[in-house]
Amino acid sequence: MAATLPNISSDLIWEVVRSNNSYLHKTGARSNGGIQLSRDPLNLTNKHSRKYAGFVNDKAVGIVANEKGGVVVISKKAAAAAQPAKSVAKTTIGGGKSTRKTYKAVASQVAKTGYRADLRAAAVERVSAIRRSQLPVKADPEPKLRGKKAKAAAAGES
Amino acid sequence: MVAAKKHVPIVKKHKTRFARHQSDRFDRVDASWRKPKGIDGRVRRRFRGTIRMPKIGYGSNKKTRFLTPSGHKAFLVHNVKDLELLLMHNRTHAAEIASAVSSRKRIDIISRAKQIGVKVTNAKAKVTTEV
Repeated sequence: MAATLPNISSDLIWEVVRSNNSYLHKTGARSNGGIQLSRDPLNLTNKHSRKYAGFVNDKAVGIVANEKGGVVVISKKAAAAAQPAKSVAKTTIGGGKSTRKTYKAVASQVAKTGYRADLRAAAVERVSAIRRSQLPVKADPEPKLRGKKAKAAAAGES
Repeated sequence: MVAAKKHVPIVKKHKTRFARHQSDRFDRVDASWRKPKGIDGRVRRRFRGTIRMPKIGYGSNKKTRFLTPSGHKAFLVHNVKDLELLLMHNRTHAAEIASAVSSRKRIDIISRAKQIGVKVTNAKAKVTTEV
């Protein structure tokens, strides 16, 4: 969106959309201090801020969970900004790869090539969070009975 | 569920609610706070033994304001999509399912919260039944 009109800068776009946009999720200042989050898929931290707003910047990185395990790295192509269908590049890093190797692959794609070096830590953190969410969920421990119920259970056993 | 980030100890300077003067004596005087305005008011003149009036000094430390005892801030969610926003904030914010969400959808939200390690403050509401 940002570069569809080449004479419009990201800074101007940000000034226009920072108060309200479709990705923005605001909360009431009286309930939790008023955090502002963003649903933007090209936002690594889900924070509403200039640095992480992927739809504003010419270059941006997003990391989403892959359905079959692993992660998908989305990045914007600055050259194809005017063609929305071609403007994002997707790289899948499968779940078979170890998490550390996934970090390495993501970090080199995001930062080492000089694409968005400032997003390296955020990208690795997000990969970590997604990989952890793909682990099998532990079942809740059985609640310990107390009082009358515990007595009844003990009596039933013996 | 992930434990909350370390924070400075939460200090509540005044734990009870400020009740309006003489709301304990008359049913028609509601407990919600009203500042005494009378010319002779003992409470207004801060006499010894009278109730304390709220003032800005009772405010919480900015760092611990809105924090629950667990150290999270509550974040209202209506669906799984809202919950996904907390993926990177599970150490600072806990999800609180909105009151109008049905028990069927609560189950989806709670199971997804477990996967992404987000604490749900009202995980038992409408889902568990009394035996």
